[in-house]
Amino acid sequence: MKEKAEKLNGKDLINIGIYSAIYFVIVFAVALLGFIPIFMPLLTVLVPILGGIPFMLFLTKVKKAGMVFIMTLIMGIMMQLTGMSYYALIVGLFSGTVSELILKKGNYRSTQCAVLTSGVFSIWVWGNFIPLFTNIDKYFSTRQSFGQEYIDTLTSLMPTWMCPVLFVSCFVCGVIGGLIGRSVLKKHFVKAGIA
Amino acid sequence: MLKFRLDPRTKILLLVLVTAVVLGGVGGNHMQPFVYVLSVLPAAMLLSVGKVRKAMRGMLLILMAYTAQFLLMGKIHGISGFLLLFVTGIWSRLLPGMMMGQYVMETTTVSEFIAAFERMHVPLQLTVPLSVMFRFFPTVKEEFQAINAAMKMRDIRFGGGNMVKAIEYRIVPMLSCSARIGEELSAAALSRGLCGERKRSNVCRIGFGICDRICLVFGAVCVLYGTAAAIGVIS
Repeated sequence: MKEKAEKLNGKDLINIGIYSAIYFVIVFAVALLGFIPIFMPLLTVLVPILGGIPFMLFLTKVKKAGMVFIMTLIMGIMMQLTGMSYYALIVGLFSGTVSELILKKGNYRSTQCAVLTSGVFSIWVWGNFIPLFTNIDKYFSTRQSFGQEYIDTLTSLMPTWMCPVLFVSCFVCGVIGGLIGRSVLKKHFVKAGIA
Repeated sequence: MLKFRLDPRTKILLLVLVTAVVLGGVGGNHMQPFVYVLSVLPAAMLLSVGKVRKAMRGMLLILMAYTAQFLLMGKIHGISGFLLLFVTGIWSRLLPGMMMGQYVMETTTVSEFIAAFERMHVPLQLTVPLSVMFRFFPTVKEEFQAINAAMKMRDIRFGGGNMVKAIEYRIVPMLSCSARIGEELSAAALSRGLCGERKRSNVCRIGFGICDRICLVFGAVCVLYGTAAAIGVIS
């Protein structure tokens, strides 16, 4: 348990920043698809899968407690800055903590734990969908300018039972993303000595 | 003429306000007057630092979006109307936030950011990743453009049949060059004493001036009005 006492140093913090930036760019690019109603629920599939690749590379740099947690916090803050709800931050507090515990269990080395972490970490994406279920009228009162058609389509796409479905989808696709990320790592980065 | 220079903290507050109210739609319909003010604000900010062209272009696009909405809302239906409304809706909401972000990024150095965060007692564990992130966004963009050009030359395109290949051949080079740039950045940061045990000193003088006070009062009014409307004092 020597590693536990080790504090995060500048290099770790910079790594968090860099991988958060890449992860966020990918998330943002994919999330723009959400303006097309049918892609809205699919975001919980696409974001975790595509995000899994940079996230798995990030996990190879994680050797100390707290790094994944900080990344979830940053994602929450960025969602706030890009006009999403604060739920992502709240959900992130939990999913980040659980991710940390899983990683710790694998001693920051086990790939199975890393894949599982990728799944748990991705749950923050689900946080962005919570306002759609808790108060859909309020959600759309702020989006009138998108037109009635958009609102109708999205409402029909988001019945209440979608809420747990999206949650599971985030987790499962996060795991799939983790697996893909791992195979990409094996194929490209391990040889190049990066991972 | 008084020099228009804002404290980084004020800039962050304004950025949060613009994104929350214009893009996020916090406060709903009651905040409509503030939405207009906050949509114009970023252009004014860009003007104040001499980015005339950017400000004009952004303002023109926002105006166009609003005019289209005003003229067409409720008059056209069907898929084309839906698309048109939709594009203008996104435009008018997304642009102010983007312009404000541009203003903040272009007028604030990383040192100023760190100084501001330090004053707000944000722990270094959050400040450093955040500032690295903002420093890194332009790099990601540049690298991605270069990779994109290279892949185009090899005819690996999105929508060109093989989607998986198109994605993989972009993300992988992106990641490997980012990993390398990351190493270089941490070496640079090391030489700036970012990892040291002692408290860092900072050369940037930040503080609130008259302009900041005006902005802060405006922000306070905005928040108060929003809360009042939310709990039903103003209807």
